[in-house]
Amino acid sequence: MMPVGAYLGLSAVLFGIGLIGFLGRRNIILMLVSVEIMLNAVNVSLAAFSQHMQDPRGQILALFVIAVAAAEVAVGLGLVIALSRNRPGVSVEDLTQLKW
Amino acid sequence: MTVLAAQTAFYYLAAASVTSAILAVTRRNPVHSTLWVLALFLHVAGIFLLVGAEFLAAVQVIVYAGAILVFYLFFLMLLDLPSEAAGPRFGAHWPLCTAAGLAFAALIWYAREPELVPPAQHTVAGGSSPGNLSTVGMALFTQFALPFEIASLVLLAAIVGAVVVAKRKTESL
Repeated sequence: MMPVGAYLGLSAVLFGIGLIGFLGRRNIILMLVSVEIMLNAVNVSLAAFSQHMQDPRGQILALFVIAVAAAEVAVGLGLVIALSRNRPGVSVEDLTQLKW
Repeated sequence: MTVLAAQTAFYYLAAASVTSAILAVTRRNPVHSTLWVLALFLHVAGIFLLVGAEFLAAVQVIVYAGAILVFYLFFLMLLDLPSEAAGPRFGAHWPLCTAAGLAFAALIWYAREPELVPPAQHTVAGGSSPGNLSTVGMALFTQFALPFEIASLVLLAAIVGAVVVAKRKTESL
């Protein structure tokens, strides 16, 4: 059985990769995908703590994270559709109209 | 499962999920990225199985790999891909982003305690495994019934919000 620290290390690495993708990618959809990678990293550590503490509450919190991720995808991709209707392309660097 | 088998499974799943996450973030074609995220989600489901969270693994495969990722692929195919795949993948500030991501991962890595000791008394009575579906379901529908209902409200708000945001503007309204 692996110690819980191994799962936390894996979770940290996955979260860092997701953060790099979210900050660096130009494509809005891939930025949202990177958010999903980060949410998965957090779910890994929640599940590992759930096993470590012998307590189902960690898994229940991970289930709620998945539910909120589904909601985030629906609204986020709706926003992308509305954006791409106004201007073609999904690059964040084209979205400068809020810049003062 | 023996200790050696569990360790081998963990190292395989960890290496595969980190590799597929890196590939997902760095591929030029967005569809390829999304398919690598699919590989990541399936390996994370394997990790959930390894920590005894069977229900969470099933939900991961059904909701994440099944619903959410299909949604992403559907949207990617609605949009104009060739022009997107031609430009640079990362913005001009990518060294700063990489430094931020590595620094954050290093902070969590050093803040964790590798040799955490489990608490003395277990909060679950009867000593049943927490991955047990009945344990999770019992907690979800008794102690966490109100958050469960609130989650349904969040999903309803997301449905209405997505329809309102993506709706075509009509003159008659």
